[in-house]
Amino acid sequence: MSSHHESIIREPLITGTDITYNKITEDVCAPVERMPSKAWWIGFTVAVLGLVLWLVAVGYTFWTGIGAWGLNKTVGWAWDITNFVWWVGIGHAGTLISAILLLFRQSWRNSINRSAEAMTIFAVICAASFIVAHMGRPWVAYWPLPLPNQFGSLWVNFNSPLVWDVFAISTYFSVSLVFWYTGLLPDIATIRDRATGLRRRIYSILSFGWNGSAKTWQRFEAVSLILAGVSTPLVLSVHTIVSMDFATSIVPGWHTTIFPPYFVAGAIFSGFAMVQTLLLIARKVLNFENYITMAHIESMNKIIILTGSIVGVAYGTEFFIAWYSGVQYEQYAFINRATGPYWWAYWSMITCNVISPQLFWFKKIRTSIVASWVLSIFVNIGMWFERFVIIVTSLHRDYLPSSWAMFYPTWVDVAIFIGSLGLFFTLFLLFLRVLPAIAMAEVKLLLKGNSEMSKRKLIADGHAKVPEGFTNRIVIATTATIKNDKKDE
Amino acid sequence: MENNTKKYWKGLEELHQSPEFVKNSKNEFAEELPIEELLSESKVNNPTPRRDFLKALGFGMSAVALAACNEAPVKRAIPYLIKPEEITPGIANYYTSNYNGLGVLVKTREGRPIKIEGNPNDPIAKGGTDAVAQASVLDLYDSSRIKNPMMKGADATWENVDKFVKEALATATNVRIVSNTIMSPSTKLVIADFAVKYPSTKHITFDASSYSGMINANNNSFGKAVIPSYNFDKADVIVSFGADFLGTWISPVEYTKQYVQNRNNKSLEAKKMSRHVQFETILSLTGTNADSRYTHKPSQQGLAVLALYNAIASKTGAAAVAGVSVPFEKIINETANELLNAKGKSLVVCGSNDVSVQVAVNAINSLLGNYGTTIDLDNASYQKQGNDAEMIDFVAEMNAGKIDAVIFYNTNPAYNYAKGAEFAEALKKVKTKVSFADRADETALLCDVIAPSTHYLESWDDVSAKRGVYSVVQPTISPVYNARAAQSSLLVWADATLDYFTYIRNNWEKNVYPQASGFAGFSAFWDAALQTGVVTTTAITPQAYSFNNNLSAVAQTIIAASKNAGKIEVVVYESVGVRDGAHANNPWLLEMPDPVSKVTWDNYAAINPKFAEELGIKENTKVDVTVGTAKLSLPVLMQPGQAMGTIGVAMGYGRTNVGKAGNGVGVNAFPFVTLVNGTFQYFNTNATVTATSEAYELAQTQTHHTYEGRDIIREKSLKEYAHPEKHEGHAEGEGHSKENVDLWAAYPRNGHHHWGMAVDLNSCTGCGACVVACSAENNVPVVGRDEVRRRREMHWIRIDRYYTYESAEGKDITQEKEYNNVENYENVKVIHQPLMCQHCDHAPCETVCPVLATMHSSEGLNQMAYNRCVGTRYCANNCPYKVRRFNWFNYWNDDRFVNFLQDDAAYLALNPDVTTRSRGVMEKCSFCAQRIQAGKLSAKIEKRALKDGDVQSACQQGCPANAIVFGDVNDPESEVSKLIKSDRTYFLLEEINVQPGVGYMTKVRNTIEA
Repeated sequence: MSSHHESIIREPLITGTDITYNKITEDVCAPVERMPSKAWWIGFTVAVLGLVLWLVAVGYTFWTGIGAWGLNKTVGWAWDITNFVWWVGIGHAGTLISAILLLFRQSWRNSINRSAEAMTIFAVICAASFIVAHMGRPWVAYWPLPLPNQFGSLWVNFNSPLVWDVFAISTYFSVSLVFWYTGLLPDIATIRDRATGLRRRIYSILSFGWNGSAKTWQRFEAVSLILAGVSTPLVLSVHTIVSMDFATSIVPGWHTTIFPPYFVAGAIFSGFAMVQTLLLIARKVLNFENYITMAHIESMNKIIILTGSIVGVAYGTEFFIAWYSGVQYEQYAFINRATGPYWWAYWSMITCNVISPQLFWFKKIRTSIVASWVLSIFVNIGMWFERFVIIVTSLHRDYLPSSWAMFYPTWVDVAIFIGSLGLFFTLFLLFLRVLPAIAMAEVKLLLKGNSEMSKRKLIADGHAKVPEGFTNRIVIATTATIKNDKKDE
Repeated sequence: MENNTKKYWKGLEELHQSPEFVKNSKNEFAEELPIEELLSESKVNNPTPRRDFLKALGFGMSAVALAACNEAPVKRAIPYLIKPEEITPGIANYYTSNYNGLGVLVKTREGRPIKIEGNPNDPIAKGGTDAVAQASVLDLYDSSRIKNPMMKGADATWENVDKFVKEALATATNVRIVSNTIMSPSTKLVIADFAVKYPSTKHITFDASSYSGMINANNNSFGKAVIPSYNFDKADVIVSFGADFLGTWISPVEYTKQYVQNRNNKSLEAKKMSRHVQFETILSLTGTNADSRYTHKPSQQGLAVLALYNAIASKTGAAAVAGVSVPFEKIINETANELLNAKGKSLVVCGSNDVSVQVAVNAINSLLGNYGTTIDLDNASYQKQGNDAEMIDFVAEMNAGKIDAVIFYNTNPAYNYAKGAEFAEALKKVKTKVSFADRADETALLCDVIAPSTHYLESWDDVSAKRGVYSVVQPTISPVYNARAAQSSLLVWADATLDYFTYIRNNWEKNVYPQASGFAGFSAFWDAALQTGVVTTTAITPQAYSFNNNLSAVAQTIIAASKNAGKIEVVVYESVGVRDGAHANNPWLLEMPDPVSKVTWDNYAAINPKFAEELGIKENTKVDVTVGTAKLSLPVLMQPGQAMGTIGVAMGYGRTNVGKAGNGVGVNAFPFVTLVNGTFQYFNTNATVTATSEAYELAQTQTHHTYEGRDIIREKSLKEYAHPEKHEGHAEGEGHSKENVDLWAAYPRNGHHHWGMAVDLNSCTGCGACVVACSAENNVPVVGRDEVRRRREMHWIRIDRYYTYESAEGKDITQEKEYNNVENYENVKVIHQPLMCQHCDHAPCETVCPVLATMHSSEGLNQMAYNRCVGTRYCANNCPYKVRRFNWFNYWNDDRFVNFLQDDAAYLALNPDVTTRSRGVMEKCSFCAQRIQAGKLSAKIEKRALKDGDVQSACQQGCPANAIVFGDVNDPESEVSKLIKSDRTYFLLEEINVQPGVGYMTKVRNTIEA
């Protein structure tokens, strides 16, 4: 969008000195147009095995009943809803990147928004699968929808947060899908134009007749902005409503007003962590290092440290309020979290979510690809434990001690979770094969103003001068990236 | 009318009656059908002509259409071509009957007995039931019963059986009939008649849980070899030495009814409450209800009784016994004072089967003047008649080869005789062995003939549980299998011509009717007996008896025995559900949590946690308990309140041949029973316990045992309750006037019923009758041990049991983290809290259901629409009482649960008014919505308003303690609305403003201190 020149002291969003519009097209289209690499095949095979495991485990559950899981009379939700919230949380980064950052004119989003959005959609699919799977009677899973029906005036319960959830998730999914697909149109058209035969026909249909005229581009920009406006409240609303599944209940440990902001922060936290996890590998395997640069990685790490700290403050606040409320049940719920039978889950969560992201205060760590990847995995684990802690440790010891129980997962619980990762990665790897993983059209916008080349040109042409004290930084920043990459190979 | 003779003809051939036509008209088809031609080889093999194809097509189409028009095969959906007068589909019939001395009403639907309810006319149980009686209906349909009589292990006919037995008996010179206690006067007469035909016959009564010692003691002391009637209601001070009279001892339902008379709300409103002191080894159900409780090793029981005797004797001037010293002298003295203060209004009972100990107890009761007031030897109980000496002699006689024929009736000595293996060996020496068992049980398997006797719901019988009280047992269904009442068999074998029904009537006419007065002839008397279920004859005024024997000889025996105290002593006790093991195939009883330990589907070695620590025994393992040659491997249960140095093991488990559900559940503890001085002793002083590394998890429905100091249990001492002004702390019921802030609009309460419940924690003994009653009424599935381990039992009502300890400083310890401060795990207080759906007015479950599957009725009920439930379980998570139960599997149709309820015939016991729930839906207590509906309908038919008491919930009805009261809170005259306003009433978790509809009434303990 912005093709104006940008200050040279800002880090370039496209590195490399030989980047042309054509090279961007070639680089981004390459994974779609060439035969899959060995790495892809290995990844895909593992992912499909996971998918098969998912099918088996979900099928077994549907055949026999929820009793195949480790739930009991006291703990009615455990891994199912933990996984659901985890996946929904992961799905948050996509819309945040594509919508909110768009509105804030954060052009560094241009090279990561496509895969982040794809990730969102696949994560929401995974999340939705848990909504259906956790139902005792999944064959009537459509009943929570307010559909006209033959049961008389039977309607859904608009008081129930689960109904709000249905609306929130389905809205979020459809808007994200539309937004993502709209953004894809010019890129699909590019592939169409380069393809022949059957592929051309398929991409032709998928491109909805994109002709690249000025009018088309103008409409495209307008639609993007409108969709961004529509999506922005969704980023906040979805996890707010998910948190209300807990916050509106009376279970000690769930019944807290801090949940909506705390959940949203946590969701963005986990979403960015998952984007890191995926893109750090994808940029390498797909040779996107020039487009997804250290600047991107660092920006995302900064968001992770911010949201991680918000989450950390929220954990502390919960304890404070539990003490301050003077409610015996509430106090016990939190003491039990930290010191009860599930203490290990709580401290895993604290370690992964609060302590480990603080390492990103060190520039060295936040600009290290290996460290970023390892810490992103930590955050993913930590956020899973956060949901587990909230759900299971609150439920397993609530008001009446006579009903206190422990939850132990069965093989089916574990298999469905691992299987959902399989489902996710299968979809993601297929996405990498058939659709451009970087928004070519949007990245091209940055070439003239925000790329390393353009900045060098500004200096070379004498339009800009490197200020005192910045000489080293600019040069080192760009070359260090390249060097670092070399080191990793 | 003119005859119509006009004729129409079809053709000229008919008109002319040509010979050809006449010939053809006899055939079905006038023209020859070309079948042969069509099926000939050439036709079949040739390509089908177009017209044939169309014909076939047309025929096929019409055939399919016709077939489709045919109605679905008619299953006999309309059962009665000629409707029996008394059966209307959809309307229940009730028949009076009697189960083991408890007067019951049998609810039948469409000819099937489906529910046992107490008979309020019964002077003994007064409408109360226990879990065993409630569960008995399921035994009727048990497919593990044998379907036909059996001879030598193969099915036989009754003719062959009769022939075989008669031939064998004709030559037999020594015949024995072995049975458990027979309360039926007619059955006894049948046996007597049988003995006339076969004069060598002797009847031996053997009870697996024997009271022989007490009967002998009463014979020694007073010349009356009986079990007396006890009047716990007349006792202000009750002292029990190991007698679990609320759980298993002689007649627990009767005693529970009496016991709560002095402890229920009515009594407390008069600021009166009896005092109950329990001395015992294991923590029994009765012990959990005691005001004060002290533990000792079983070998010291006699000594404790003697010490109490001495303490009382010293104050009444009677002769004391020398050489008695017990460590808890002070407590005994205090107890003695209390007893003396209530002279003539006290009661001392003892669970021992030792004659000497029981004699000492008699001496105490005599000193206290209790005979004629709280103990009635004249209107004796017939509930236990076992004679240990006879049984021991019988086994010796068998061993000596003196017995020719033996008939077993309602008894299973190969399993429950102390030396079962020895018994089985001895039995081999008997020529003819006949069993009346309804299944091929341990003893029946060793017999030549199994002549299956009927279930009590299938046959006529009578019962006299006490002198002067008679009930008729009437059949409520034809025998489900090819069984015949044992009495009929005996009559047939004795060549009697009468059927048993006529026999009973004759017996009653001759022997019972003359004792009764006020009836116009025998028929009226008999009808009254059938209608009311029970008739009583003139009662005898109980006489005062005094103990005049010398106690010193007895005391010497006791003191000598107490010297045998071992390091580890084992007690064998009856558990409340399974009792002596006769009904060990009943899934309802197996899944009913033990009232104290909350364990299902197993027996175990109960051991004090402190003692376990000393022995190095860990939870969730098995231990080997060895007594003499008997070595049992048992799972460990940490049982607070159990005496140090002791192990408790329940009898009745470890059946090997009882049926699909009960086989191999637990371990048989009868080998631990010993024979001492001619009676069976249910403890052993010389046991060894070895810890093993074998892991075993017991299936418990409650695993956290303290209430963490939460305000969910309220209890007070009697003094605090009676004089609240002298004590600090909040007055009960102060929350009632609190202003509630509501987010939601209140439900209108105008003019409708508003159903509510009051549960008296002081009356509830925790016996579990309500749990089984609820399961039977509401078709609650049985899920089995593994599912209970996963904490998925389905009971709609549960009884929470909490322990509190007292620290050395006398502070109540209710929190788990303070456990380590507990000095003494023997000194434990227990509280039972029945919990069912609280039917909250602001039900947290209702707001969260996405599909409105659970919602509020205009009458205050929290309802479940199973068909609408999608199974998100959100409601259960949000229920602060955790009373919602989810169908994790299709419990009714999943073959993994086949052993429990999906029995071939057990579904016949289902209540047709309550739907069974499929997999994936939530269920919970409905306040017996079907009963409310039935009550309203019958009131409407009778054109009257619903009265209080018209609708009783199943738990309320089953409760022997009247601890649960259900009714309309909007009716100011109803019992429940009065109770809800009681100053003892509080609402569980009322602070979270869910506005529950069940009020709990504070537990009051009549403690001496405070």
